[in-house]
Amino acid sequence: MSRPLRRVVLVDDHDLFRAGVRSQLGAGVEVVGEAGSVADAVPLIKELDPDVVLLDVHLPDGGGQAVIVQVAPERPGVHFLALSVSDAAEDVIGVIRAGARGYVTKTISGEELTEAIHRTADGDAVFSPRLAGFVLDAFRGGEVTGSGDPELDQLTAREREVLQLIARGYRYKEIAARLHLSSRTVESHVSAVLRKLQLSSRHELTRWAAERRLI
Amino acid sequence: MSTTPLRLPLGVTRAGEGRVVAGVCAGLGARGRTDATFVRLVFVLLSFAAGAGIVAYLALWALLPGEPAAPVPRKRRVVGVVLLLVAAQIALHGLGLGNSLVWPLLLASLGYVVWTYGEELGMRPRARRVSAGALTVFALLGFVGTNTRGTASTLLAPGAIAIAILIVLLPWALRLVRERDAERDARVRVEERADLAARVHDSVLQTLALIQREADPRRIQTLARRQERELRAWIYPEREPAAAGTLADAIETAAAEIEELHGVRVEVVRTGDAPADERVRELVLAAREAMANAAKHSGAEEVSVFVDASPERVAVFVRDRGAGFDPEAVPADRRGIAHSIRERMERVDGTATISSTPGAGTEVELSL
Repeated sequence: MSRPLRRVVLVDDHDLFRAGVRSQLGAGVEVVGEAGSVADAVPLIKELDPDVVLLDVHLPDGGGQAVIVQVAPERPGVHFLALSVSDAAEDVIGVIRAGARGYVTKTISGEELTEAIHRTADGDAVFSPRLAGFVLDAFRGGEVTGSGDPELDQLTAREREVLQLIARGYRYKEIAARLHLSSRTVESHVSAVLRKLQLSSRHELTRWAAERRLI
Repeated sequence: MSTTPLRLPLGVTRAGEGRVVAGVCAGLGARGRTDATFVRLVFVLLSFAAGAGIVAYLALWALLPGEPAAPVPRKRRVVGVVLLLVAAQIALHGLGLGNSLVWPLLLASLGYVVWTYGEELGMRPRARRVSAGALTVFALLGFVGTNTRGTASTLLAPGAIAIAILIVLLPWALRLVRERDAERDARVRVEERADLAARVHDSVLQTLALIQREADPRRIQTLARRQERELRAWIYPEREPAAAGTLADAIETAAAEIEELHGVRVEVVRTGDAPADERVRELVLAAREAMANAAKHSGAEEVSVFVDASPERVAVFVRDRGAGFDPEAVPADRRGIAHSIRERMERVDGTATISSTPGAGTEVELSL
């Protein structure tokens, strides 16, 4: 299977970590630029216009969100994939709501990260088990604000099922086989969840977003 | 309790640079981006309105936090203070107070000025103390002397003295409070730093030292993971509730133990939680056994654990992407799975489902 070469910018304030990621990335991915702060990252990304930005959730001068907020309106073709050791749900959800296409933890293997970059570049959503857990938590129960669009405030049974399998450590292909779906259908479910995560006005999500000054 | 010193909004401070008396006008001018002289003029004009300018000046002097004072040329300072005193006198006359009150107050404020600024004005400490004390005594004597003769003002005397003392003491008291707060802040910061240093030394630095001497990559990974867990628990304490003893906590603890024992990564994802009653404790033991099996026999480097708890149902999934096995072909003497996992779950009316495919890994589902 031949895929186009993906041009990637790495944004992380730890040189060692960037070096580690660079050495682990597999075929078809080329790191074209690196930045260690929001101030460096924003002009760099605008200049290079890469396919994917690997973005640390925590940066000294504002965090991954600040980068997305400043770049995304001008460079709609750039896809962001959040990468972090952070465990705090609100940070992760905050970056996703700012526009990241997914979130993976830094313990991810090089092979899986390469795969995730390709998927992000294709415009698909990338959910790590941890993110799936956060989302299931956020959409749990019936606490829904009245003003929102009910479609956006609930997960369908199928979406929930897919998320649970992701949280259990299944990959998209394995999920497809298990649920007798095509990989494409699994991907569209995950993308739908991402859209809900970004647009829903559910109480918990709104609160997180408000705390992070996203709205 | 807040330790922030008294502070007005708007970010106005008394200026250290370019001040004449206390830096109030210079500070306001700097904040409002106008010339300090203009601000001073406004205060002077206000002073003719029944002394409002003076009162406002004194109030702001007391309330605004000061910047580190830059030395003021002595001549400028003396001229400033003298002008201020003249203004005060004019204002007091404006208020309709006779000489009997004006002069003692003026002497008292002069005493205050000498006390506060004597040093900056170039007086020796002793001369400063003596002259300030003398001026205050003169003021009191003059006040008592001139006022005991009248009858109506006798009643006013104690109140006036109290107010005078208050005016003199208030800025000083406020400054003391501010200094104390600043000191306490500094102490808190020092303590926090010491605490952080102790923690980093006990945990991170020790682990790093161990890692540098360690050659076995598995052991290094275990050390690093344990350190990561510890730091995480410290940085995100809300995720590790103080009342340990919920399902998710017990699973995290079990996962940490398995990591230590077998040197594999155990990644726990949780949604929801449940209190750890008798049945949940059995489930945790079964899950621990499943993790241990995955770590020992699958050959996979990572084990995924997913805790899904709601009021109706508690489920834990333990999955590896390792060698897998044929559940039918397990010899009867390999009792680990059958005994520890299945029987445990049956005892508490739960279920254990074990699915495995050779070459594709194993998943154990435990539910209550």
